[in-house]
Amino acid sequence: MTATAVTAPGVRRVEHIMGMPILVDVRDDVDEAELDTVFDWFRAVDETFSTYKAGSEVSRLARGVLRVGDATADVQDVLARCEELRLETEGYFDAYAGGSLDPSGLVKGWAVDHAATMLRLAGFENFAVNAGGDIRLAGGACPDHTWRVGIQHPLVRDRVAAVVEGHDIAVATSGAYARGDHVVDPHTRRPPKGVLSVTVTGPDLATADAYATAAFAMGASRAPVWTSTLTGGYEAMTILASRRVLFTPGFPRAEPR
Amino acid sequence: MRRYAAAALSTLTLILPVANAAAATTASTVKPKVVVTTRKFVGTAAEADRWGQLQVTISVRKTTTTVGKKVTVKRRIVGVGVPVYPNHTDRSVFINEQALPYLKQEALQAQSANIQLVSGATDTSYAFVQSLQAAILQAKKA
Repeated sequence: MTATAVTAPGVRRVEHIMGMPILVDVRDDVDEAELDTVFDWFRAVDETFSTYKAGSEVSRLARGVLRVGDATADVQDVLARCEELRLETEGYFDAYAGGSLDPSGLVKGWAVDHAATMLRLAGFENFAVNAGGDIRLAGGACPDHTWRVGIQHPLVRDRVAAVVEGHDIAVATSGAYARGDHVVDPHTRRPPKGVLSVTVTGPDLATADAYATAAFAMGASRAPVWTSTLTGGYEAMTILASRRVLFTPGFPRAEPR
Repeated sequence: MRRYAAAALSTLTLILPVANAAAATTASTVKPKVVVTTRKFVGTAAEADRWGQLQVTISVRKTTTTVGKKVTVKRRIVGVGVPVYPNHTDRSVFINEQALPYLKQEALQAQSANIQLVSGATDTSYAFVQSLQAAILQAKKA
């Protein structure tokens, strides 16, 4: 892991924004200063969407002092997408799961997807953006032809449970092993049962992340069945408390090497 | 009062004269009588979903107040229990797995692998990024 970091071409930068480490890893020939606009973007997203900053648009919406119609276009887009995903996931992805408005579950992936677009428009072809364990990839990890992403083993900290390999793909994992039970079933307001983690891969990170959160919230009784119904290029890997791992047939899995 | 409390404990039936102070100052010859009973009702076990049964019990407190020939009855649910509920973590997963040959299955393994990134919940990534940052700093010094 570290050997790759040391010898890889391009630049890597990590900043702590939105309460998590955000890593931008560009393998093309790039001046590090060109990454400034990407991190500025994440800071701007934080100012607008933070639930911890009283003056953010989301905080003001949650307090009822700002109406959705008066919010900026980005906020309206995110809230509209949250509602679409709530309906798509049978209510298991819910920006109101905690009782008040918190679209953070979508904002992270949405912000990363925008950052990926910015990097592509800046002319980069080979990069990865990792925001708190949710990842958007492009091209390959030069000099390697592809990107290889380990899926964190939910029970053994320094091991992976599987490896995803791809070029242009998003990888999102939802699990309860890191910060305690921070995902709740919106229907019961309780942590789900029987699932250790759900990983979803697909074309965009916002959607993959919402699907992973929803499937994890469903618990072992519904998550496997529901992930098998995903369309649009989304695939899932569900790790059950029974230590069984379930993969949808198209899950982009690589052999370990 | 102690006598009444003992009766309540043994039979769940409590008979009380209405508040003593009120009774003493009322000239009424008709003494109101209050009877409180608590009963548990067991619901029929029902299919909660396709994976299991659910059964609910409720405890109902019934207060019967009698003043002369006038009888007032009030019922209130004072407790809810769920003695039988679907066991999603075992039974339903088993059924799921039976019903889903579509999904590939295997036992959970722990691997180390040649990878560039780790997808997982946040603190793991943080550890990964810390390690990566250290490596970058070393690379800059080298």
